[in-house]
Amino acid sequence: MSESRPVIEVRDIGKSFGATRALDGVSVEFYPGEILAMVGANGAGKSTLIKIICGYHADHEGTIVVGGQEVRFHSPKHAYDAGIATVHQIINQGVVQSMSVYENLTLAELLGPGQKPFYDKRMLRQRAAEVAATIGLSVDLDEPVSDLSQSERQMIAIARALASQPKLLILDEPTSSLSDKEADRLFEVLERLRKTGVSILYVSHRLHEISRIADRVVVIRDGKLAGVLSRPFEVKQVVTAMVGELPKHAHVASRGADRSGDQVQLELRDLVVEPGGPAVNLTVRKGEVLGLTGLIGAGKSELAQVLFGMRPPVSGEILINGRSVRPKSIGDAIRKGVFYVPEDRANNAVIPMFTVRQNMTAPFLRVFQRFGAIMNVSAEQQRAREMIRSMGVKCESEEAEMDSLSGGNQQKVIVARWLLEQYELVILDEPFQGVDIRSRHDIGVYLRENIADRAAIVIATDLDEVIEVADRIVVMNAGRIRGEQDYRNLDRDQLLHWVSEEPEEVTTEEVSV
Amino acid sequence: MSDQPRVQPEVAEDGVSRRSTGERFKRFAIRYGFLIVMAILMIVFGMVNPVFWNPANLFSILLGATVYGILALGVTFPLVIDGLDLSIGSVAALSVMISAYLMVVLEVNGFVTILIALFLGAFIGFINGVLIVRVKIPDLLATLGMMFLVQGLQLIPSGGRSIGRGAVLSGGVTARGQFADYFLFLGQGRIFGIVPTAVMIMIIVAILVFVTLSLTRWGRVFYAIGSNSEAARLVGAKVDQYRLAAYVVSGTIAALGGIVLAARVGRGDVQSGGTLLLDSIGSALIGFAVLGVRKPNPFGTIVGAVFISMLLNGLTMMNMPYYVQDFVKGVVLVSALAFTFGLSKAKA
Repeated sequence: MSESRPVIEVRDIGKSFGATRALDGVSVEFYPGEILAMVGANGAGKSTLIKIICGYHADHEGTIVVGGQEVRFHSPKHAYDAGIATVHQIINQGVVQSMSVYENLTLAELLGPGQKPFYDKRMLRQRAAEVAATIGLSVDLDEPVSDLSQSERQMIAIARALASQPKLLILDEPTSSLSDKEADRLFEVLERLRKTGVSILYVSHRLHEISRIADRVVVIRDGKLAGVLSRPFEVKQVVTAMVGELPKHAHVASRGADRSGDQVQLELRDLVVEPGGPAVNLTVRKGEVLGLTGLIGAGKSELAQVLFGMRPPVSGEILINGRSVRPKSIGDAIRKGVFYVPEDRANNAVIPMFTVRQNMTAPFLRVFQRFGAIMNVSAEQQRAREMIRSMGVKCESEEAEMDSLSGGNQQKVIVARWLLEQYELVILDEPFQGVDIRSRHDIGVYLRENIADRAAIVIATDLDEVIEVADRIVVMNAGRIRGEQDYRNLDRDQLLHWVSEEPEEVTTEEVSV
Repeated sequence: MSDQPRVQPEVAEDGVSRRSTGERFKRFAIRYGFLIVMAILMIVFGMVNPVFWNPANLFSILLGATVYGILALGVTFPLVIDGLDLSIGSVAALSVMISAYLMVVLEVNGFVTILIALFLGAFIGFINGVLIVRVKIPDLLATLGMMFLVQGLQLIPSGGRSIGRGAVLSGGVTARGQFADYFLFLGQGRIFGIVPTAVMIMIIVAILVFVTLSLTRWGRVFYAIGSNSEAARLVGAKVDQYRLAAYVVSGTIAALGGIVLAARVGRGDVQSGGTLLLDSIGSALIGFAVLGVRKPNPFGTIVGAVFISMLLNGLTMMNMPYYVQDFVKGVVLVSALAFTFGLSKAKA
């Protein structure tokens, strides 16, 4: 494949959002007739790169070369005209549900500029039939899209993207809402397309699909190119590039005591999260930071959601400090001392209209009220200032607006929000996403220094991030606890093996301490 | 490392840049621009016609703002949670008709009448809330539907006629009851013979709304929901209950506005709803610009309501014909919003 010239090439692409460096010096070549997969954890920079290639961010660094000529896309339309077609992750944004199949297949003809005010229905249907034939789509052209299945909608979006005869077709998480059977059909279509010479960029976090169809894999990590793998590659190699090598020695204050003798703070007994899913047994000791890792979809966040009262468990028991608790709602979980720092800071945590102080105190307003429900602002300010100081948040003052802070500092504020009050168990879900190393370190140190005899769970896909803070690392795969290791006796290969096993292989629990 | 204070003012590396003079002026303009324009207008009106400054005229400005001012304070709640309540105007009109019907036709005691009217407002707000929160109809559509429903409902008891003392009803019966004196006092009386009661009611409502939204825990939760409802949910806020409550408050306060209006005109006028909806929502939106906060706030709302009334009063003294009133209101609203949002967008 490498003998042929790349159809499109991106060189040294970089992009910053405010103080956050989203992409840094990424170069990728796209060859004709090749399926190139792109993987990376959430927030690694995949979508930023896609957006740059499709012309959404004109103000990027680096160059894009199409057919040997340097171009700078100033709009998505521009990129589309240059031969880059994209099918976005959310299928229903790619089709107009209220319109029929043939109308969807000919949207470019219907809506594009320079068209006649009245359209010729017969001509459009004929054109639609041609487009449908290119990928072997066999649905009734007059059926409304709202009556179709997800995979049929996906096929329509892909067919339409192909109608422009693109040089590069970008598929962003195309299987995320497809069943296995539907995904198989998609792969057949992709195989066929590959033969026609289209270059395909396939973005997915399902590594087993990728090992099945991709010719090469590009791994993005922390905004940088972490590796390019060519066939034959193993899933484990991809995972290694994705989640990082083990550091020689991550040294974190006061870690190192053997906790096996300490009392149990949290115990999960046969906790079933999903109907028909496996039972989870897990203990976290007093003063312990447990690292919970696994790929996306391994069941980490779902477990956290049960503990935080966001969804009821199917069966099983949660014991905190020896007492059985079953949080019925988020408020109930908070009252019982279970706190949760959700993943995706911008959507789930930051309250943009609020100041740093107001963001910090949001869960514990009752603590700061007096005369009924009047807020004691000076008490809030004092507490917020303490947290700003002890966590090293860089901001003008506690009354600064959240959007004046860098990503890492915003994250510190969100973590501080949950360390403001006494917890029994605090869960941090992907707390280091889009967070610089400095802030990451500060958060880890603060968490450990203030844990006392309580418990913390840090969830992260990136092994480095978990190993940096955790006393013990537990790997989840396909909803199961796959194995655990003490941080002092880490067996990297074993961890990677657990993370990357095919779901069908995951059966029994192995413990090696 | 972590015990060192690292809070430094204006650290350039964090993107918290040092402010230039131009930027400081812009901040000042965003914050106080609206109030300054208001002050200048008052001076100009006073210079053109000194009567403008008479205490009697100043009170009449306030009095002119009371009914839609009260409604605007109520609708501030749905606006804070990023919703909207279009039914407030017709709820107020219903409140007018119900008050008249209860007292004049059914000869119900005035105090009971007030309670029933307030309860009815709260109930309509509750239905709005259920439609929006449980049935998940978009707020605009749910309250628009409710607006029509209530507008029609208020005409039914009296058969579409206005109700005054001695009115002849659809059955040919003459109504024998009348408005209670203390009821009328709410709209027509003056406390100590100076401050109009209606103005007093508006001020009390304004203070209550200000305290609730700006000083209490509840207010903080309302604003959190409006800013990022998912984040609010994940810090344990009962988002649905608060959203429902916002519509109940809005409906109840709209009913109170209707009571004040009924007391002022002393009859159940079928036309009384009129421009209440647009005036009150306009006031609350002008409130976004006051102090440049870009969000619904009770102080801004009340200033917005008084500003509209003052402008109309001043322009009328300068012989502005009545039919350009709506045009003037629209110009004020659009320019206030353009000013605040336009200037502050450049900041981001």
